[in-house]
Amino acid sequence: MNVKAKLQRMKGHMRLEHSGETEDKNRLQEAAEKAAGNVAADDELAELWGKLGFKPFYLEEQRSFQKRSFYTFADMKRPDLGRELQEVYERWGNLALDHPLSSRNVPLERMMFFDTETTGLSTGAGNSIFLIGYARVHDDGVEVTQHMLAEPSSEAAFLYGFLQEFHDDDYLVSYNGKAFDWPQVKSRHVFVRDQVPRLPAFGHIDLLHAARRLWKHELPSCRLSVVEREKLSIRRLHDTPGSMAPLLYYDYLHENKPDHLRGIIEHNDQDVRSLIHLYVAISQRLFQCARPASVTEQIQLGKWCEQTGWEEAAVSHYEKALEIPGSGKEAAHFQLGRIFKKQKRYQEATAQFINSISVSSTPLAEGFIELAKLHEHQEKSYERAHYFSREALRCLKASQKLTSAKRKLIKDVEKRIERLEGKLRGSSSFHNMS
Amino acid sequence: MFRKQTLSEMIEELKKDNRVAYWHEIEEQPASIVPFPDKMDERIKAALEKRQITGLYTHQASAFASVMNGENIVAVTPTASGKTFCYNLPVIQRHIHRPTARALYLFPTKALAQDQKSEINEFIDDIDIQINSYTYDGDTPANIRQVVRKAGHIVITNPDMLHSAILPHHTKWISLFENLETVVIDELHTYRGVFGSHVANVIRRLKRICRYYGSQPTFICTSATIANPAELCKELIGENARLIANNGAPKGKKHFILYNPPIVNKQLNIRKPATKVVNELAASFLKERIQTIVFSRSRVSVEVILSHLQELVQGELSRKTIRGYRGGYLPNQRREIERSLRNGETIGVVSTNALELGVDIGQLQVCIMNGYPGSIASSWQQAGRAGRRMDESVVIMVANSSPLDQYLFQHPEFFFDGSPETARINQDNLIILVDHLKCAAYELPFACGEDFGGTQVEEILEYLAEERVLHYQRNKWYWMNDAFPAHNISLRSAAQENVVIIDQSAVEKHRVIGEMDTFSAMTLLHEEAIYLHEGTQFQVEYLDWEEKKAYVRKVDVEYFTDANLAVQLKVLAVDKEKELGSSRLEYGDMMVTAMATIFKKLKLETFENIGSGKIHLPEMELHTNGVALSLGGEEIISLKEDVLEQLLIGLAHVLQHVACVRVMCDKGDLHAVPEVKAVHSEKPTVFLYDRYPGGVGLSDSVYKQFANIVADAVHFVSACPCDNGCPSCTGLAGANSGLSVKTLIVNTLAEVIGR
Repeated sequence: MNVKAKLQRMKGHMRLEHSGETEDKNRLQEAAEKAAGNVAADDELAELWGKLGFKPFYLEEQRSFQKRSFYTFADMKRPDLGRELQEVYERWGNLALDHPLSSRNVPLERMMFFDTETTGLSTGAGNSIFLIGYARVHDDGVEVTQHMLAEPSSEAAFLYGFLQEFHDDDYLVSYNGKAFDWPQVKSRHVFVRDQVPRLPAFGHIDLLHAARRLWKHELPSCRLSVVEREKLSIRRLHDTPGSMAPLLYYDYLHENKPDHLRGIIEHNDQDVRSLIHLYVAISQRLFQCARPASVTEQIQLGKWCEQTGWEEAAVSHYEKALEIPGSGKEAAHFQLGRIFKKQKRYQEATAQFINSISVSSTPLAEGFIELAKLHEHQEKSYERAHYFSREALRCLKASQKLTSAKRKLIKDVEKRIERLEGKLRGSSSFHNMS
Repeated sequence: MFRKQTLSEMIEELKKDNRVAYWHEIEEQPASIVPFPDKMDERIKAALEKRQITGLYTHQASAFASVMNGENIVAVTPTASGKTFCYNLPVIQRHIHRPTARALYLFPTKALAQDQKSEINEFIDDIDIQINSYTYDGDTPANIRQVVRKAGHIVITNPDMLHSAILPHHTKWISLFENLETVVIDELHTYRGVFGSHVANVIRRLKRICRYYGSQPTFICTSATIANPAELCKELIGENARLIANNGAPKGKKHFILYNPPIVNKQLNIRKPATKVVNELAASFLKERIQTIVFSRSRVSVEVILSHLQELVQGELSRKTIRGYRGGYLPNQRREIERSLRNGETIGVVSTNALELGVDIGQLQVCIMNGYPGSIASSWQQAGRAGRRMDESVVIMVANSSPLDQYLFQHPEFFFDGSPETARINQDNLIILVDHLKCAAYELPFACGEDFGGTQVEEILEYLAEERVLHYQRNKWYWMNDAFPAHNISLRSAAQENVVIIDQSAVEKHRVIGEMDTFSAMTLLHEEAIYLHEGTQFQVEYLDWEEKKAYVRKVDVEYFTDANLAVQLKVLAVDKEKELGSSRLEYGDMMVTAMATIFKKLKLETFENIGSGKIHLPEMELHTNGVALSLGGEEIISLKEDVLEQLLIGLAHVLQHVACVRVMCDKGDLHAVPEVKAVHSEKPTVFLYDRYPGGVGLSDSVYKQFANIVADAVHFVSACPCDNGCPSCTGLAGANSGLSVKTLIVNTLAEVIGR
């Protein structure tokens, strides 16, 4: 029985993975034969890669390709970038705080702004990395190195080339690298672990986490391209979107034409350089050496500082939020109130909470609740506490959606009201009896 | 004083019932126990002694010895025979011997895995050694998953998770695969047909990954009684396995009763519907508060029986004490029902074969089957639900009018003495094989000349490269596609997608109440269909075929619906053929097109037709294997068309039922279709085909055994007490004045086998 004929017949029942274009088998056959190890074709391929600036790198019989590019800061149209990076780098160096973005004790030249391109978006064993790129910053500019998996069978050479340049004291700066790129590198490493050095133990800053903290409320998505455009004012011309990478790579493999990947190589190069901008931009915002952008952003910065135990900076971010024009300030008042309360500065805390419920037409229920607590426990003014609790309840009940968190709040407030009413009744009935 | 009757009193009463066609007593059997093996660690012995266990049942001891010898085993163990020790003891012993050793347990369902985890953990606690056992399934939280990967000595999961979550991510499971010493496959007999064929390929992938990481695990399988456990095991794991069948567990006395409902229409040989009889029998036990389980074959009949029972015992028992249990229920609901069965809150349960598996529901006293469950193995599994411990128990099988049931009741020896079914898989079914080759290539590139569990796959790999799923380079095939193949492949169902059932009774609170495969949905979830879910009637208001969603609303009506499926067949290629008298039998590739046409509304009480409607759904196509019997012969050609039609319908009916017994499969897996003038031969033809795309080997088996099947059919039809054919032999209400379909069928078939 002819298996292939049967396969064609049963095609309707099979869930064949969608592929861009399928037919033209002759061409494919040709490509497959070419790829099967014909020396002339090999040389030809190396020449084509050479035209894109890639040089071969050998590990025994395996061959991968590498490219190094150098950009002066002027080339990057940001002559101040080097100075700005130096400045935030020094600030991090002076800050004795365990912050996820901190580069303290990391030599600047060991910071690797890192990104990969893969053959798919899944995270399983069948997803390969075909391009690893990273940027390192020097005094006069930025050096970008790219490693290319020119043939799937050369993975050992590909990773070997990369691992030769990557050491324990390197510090990775990535965008979603903790969840995607690095686990993927680890997965690929398993396949060639007998042929290449072990993976170094290194530090890792993931800027996606930082970007999400700052902008998830204002941006439609925190993809690097969106952040770049909206927050770094970088405009890319003729960019090949990263999502095209898998398809373009298949095209390259089938036709042996590196030119298909030109756009993706440029895209990766731009990505790793953008990470430098982004690192500088976010650090500057944290250290307030840039003009404050918006109330929301200041508040998000404050919250992030609070969470990382950097209270002093948090207070100053919130205060900055109150200085600039814009709505949403009630949150800044509220957060300040919480910090002051924690510091037992009750007067100031009360003032902030009062502000938090009066600056906006839609005050936060939480502000009322905090006021109720302060009045109940600090001032022992049950009537005022009772009043604020009733207001909190009114606020909560007026809200559109009742989440489970809100429901719990309502329950708590109702309990508080009951307790306060008891206390109030207790004192008044005592008077009546006497 | 009024008091409840006991089970033995009810047994005495049943003995006087003249509808009992056959009474089979299975005597109690004492335990057969041997001392602990010398090789067993003292700590294990101590833990067993702590549980008042002073020796092993013979089968447990054999299992232990073989596994310690490095042999694969398949242990055939009836319900409640202590099968878990067959694998837990050797696995723990191996761990004591080499503390880095890992084991992988596969259970067919998540519920069984959960059960097992608690059981083995309790035992490990008694031994006081450091063995981490975890379940790994869809519910395992992400932070625990990491721990399981790195430190789980025993990982308890199901084939679906192995297929879609573990193997495709093997690089995260290095320490498991490097140290994997034992693979346990429980309930082996459930891995048959399509599901089994898928799982066999998942095991091929597992072994391929193990080889890559340098491990070669031993397989320990356990199975319920089937005819070919060792053969099935060999096909599933791709290696030989020693059969362990010396069961030493004690058994209580069991009464197995075949109960044939009375004939209500003598002329047409129509019996009282089995469902009604089941209702009455079950109610009589439930009224005495005797825990009873009722098995019924279809989801619909489960719901029908459930609602009747709940009504019958109303007032005496609360509604919650009788529950339904079937596949379409959501997991939480099922867990809750299992719990209430165990703690005795629920005394009656009506189930599909979903409860055949070893889910622990404690012991019930009575098991009633609504009709023959379709296979001998299934029957014994269901019967095992009654009397799990040493008490007396009763199993009643109530026959319905189908030829299969009546055939069995005519020949009880076939059931009690005959061998149970052979479980079949076809691991090389082309569609299934291609699916798993994709997954395997995703996991690890294929080298030139590499086989897949002994099957040569080069041609398929070339095909996949042409389709640009794989890329060939330097003698290897690499996965080059951005898809994650395992996510598109379900091990459980042939249909690609399930239809989700959404209850929109409450306007702002739509909720999903179940799901169903697309093929069944055509006839059960068409618009206006009455869908029953836990005794509640729902009407389908809108079926979104594109999106695979059925919107239903609660209703309270007096009828249920039954839909017709029009089926057409095309022969695509003939692989084998032979002449049989003036007829011809062919085997090959076929295309089946099915279309739901109309549905009837039938009254619940009387089954009377009270209305009908059209179904508007697209045609569905199925490429599969089948056999075609084309009739020649002058007598046939001279028949009038309406007579011929009746003859063919009767033939299809008889052949399907008898063939299912011969090739030992479920009636739903082998379909029969008659055509007065088939496209390929232009002759009157009866087709039998595999219900699954690509076929699972049933029609091939039919082709090989065809002479026997025809002989059985002749014997069965002639032996039926009716005159001219009846619903239970020829399937026709029959007796068209003067026409004996029965004689026609017998003559036609006799000619086929040259008698």
